[in-house]
Amino acid sequence: MPVNKPFLHGQFAKRGIKAAKGITGIAVLFIAWQIGASVSGVSSYFFPAPVDVYNAFRDMMHKGILEVYLLDSLYRYVVGVFLGSLVGIGVALALGLNKAIAAVFAPLVGFFYAIVESAWLPVFVIWFGYGITTILTLLIFVVAFPILYNVLAGIQTLPIVYVNAARSLGATRWQILREVILPGVLPSIVTGFRIGAGFAFRGLIIAEAIAATSGIGFLIFDGAANKQTDRTIVGMIIMGLLWLIIELAYLRPFERATIQKWGLVTTAEQREVQ
Amino acid sequence: MIVNKELPKISVDNASIAYTNQDFAEPHLAVKDVTLEVSANEFLVVVGPSGCGKSSLLAAIAGFLTPQGGSIKLNGKQIEGPGADRGVVFQDYALLPWKTVLDNVGLGLKFRGMSKAERDKIAREHLALCGLADAEAKYPHQLSGGMRQRAAVARTLANQPEVMLMDEPFAAVDAQTRMTLQEELVRIWQQTEVTVFFVTHSVEEAIFLGDRVMVLSSGPGEIKAMVDIDIERKDRDLSSLNSNPRFQALRDEITRLVRQDAA
Repeated sequence: MPVNKPFLHGQFAKRGIKAAKGITGIAVLFIAWQIGASVSGVSSYFFPAPVDVYNAFRDMMHKGILEVYLLDSLYRYVVGVFLGSLVGIGVALALGLNKAIAAVFAPLVGFFYAIVESAWLPVFVIWFGYGITTILTLLIFVVAFPILYNVLAGIQTLPIVYVNAARSLGATRWQILREVILPGVLPSIVTGFRIGAGFAFRGLIIAEAIAATSGIGFLIFDGAANKQTDRTIVGMIIMGLLWLIIELAYLRPFERATIQKWGLVTTAEQREVQ
Repeated sequence: MIVNKELPKISVDNASIAYTNQDFAEPHLAVKDVTLEVSANEFLVVVGPSGCGKSSLLAAIAGFLTPQGGSIKLNGKQIEGPGADRGVVFQDYALLPWKTVLDNVGLGLKFRGMSKAERDKIAREHLALCGLADAEAKYPHQLSGGMRQRAAVARTLANQPEVMLMDEPFAAVDAQTRMTLQEELVRIWQQTEVTVFFVTHSVEEAIFLGDRVMVLSSGPGEIKAMVDIDIERKDRDLSSLNSNPRFQALRDEITRLVRQDAA
């Protein structure tokens, strides 16, 4: 529709200005950091300057370490978050749609939620050894819970009239699940995913620190242990950048194309103000 | 199959309907010992004071509630749960926010396994019937209240139910839109074979729409009166109905019946 064109252009321009402002914030941080490191005159081991960190970054890129670590971490992260989301949504549907299952298992869910991931890690290492199984199990654990809780709340607050409308149109139980309940809880899935995928970084870093010999978490702890603080900082910055990319390149466009288009949530801009 | 013309479309026999919610510790009796028959293609309107159980009676016919005693039948067959033969138009529309108007209207057909092309064709016909042809690509939140209710009616009719159950469908739209929707509903009803069971708290609306108007007493609701609306359809013009002496007489009579019981 041609009517929409000027509006879209305006939105792109707005986003451009917003991005410029965001980049300015990051630039200010780096300049202040460089000045702070130069003026204070402390050792690079204690407080590496942006220049040191950049050199460490180039060094690791040159040697090919960083690429391997990044790909290892990304693989673990993506698989862990994906499996954790499936587990979280699946358990939430089972508990939210079946009173008998909820009566038996709901207390157990609360019990396990309270036991944090760093407490599980030693046990997982004993059970699964050092490696991918331990890391993925930990990530699934970390990601599943916030999604589970949010989706459960989403099921409980989904207007029953939607389900009744579908039943009166002749829907089977499976059709109600697919056409009504799953799209109806999508805002809750997104909220839970935002939290769970954020938590997954914590899980990944601690799991890689203990149960891996590669990856960004390994880099952060290994750098510090070997007095290569600049490498540790590279790992930290990559974590931050990764989240920004996930948020801006995947989460936001997904929200815009679904729950925002359907009028189920206020816009991301409005939410930021709140 | 031999179709028995005498067989009522809906028959409610001595039904009592209870429901529970957070306001009541015990199941609350909403409707008591109601007996009623609705003929095929009839337009029956139920009025009564707030809390008389008129919506509970509708929910029981829809299959959302099970009567405590007595029976409710469609074409002589006991109702067991909701079904596509009884379409429901809800007061708050109940359009799915994640589907376009076209997909909402074609939803019942999708549940039957009809192909996308087929159901879009039927959905478009019903959107046109309900005066919504231009809105098919929109999402419900982009529509006005009146348009949403048109879409909800289109969705129900596209599924070709035998009965359309309407639960105060026009209560949330403004007065002008409401009159238009009332006129359109009568036109659509006359163009189809559908039987309408319509719940409202507006006596004027009941008389304009109904073949018969059933008055329920306040809760637990019992049938207080069944009034035949003996004004010909061609004489029911909303712009002059108010000055029709027969309309005035019916309005006064039904209003008196409703108010006797109002708390």
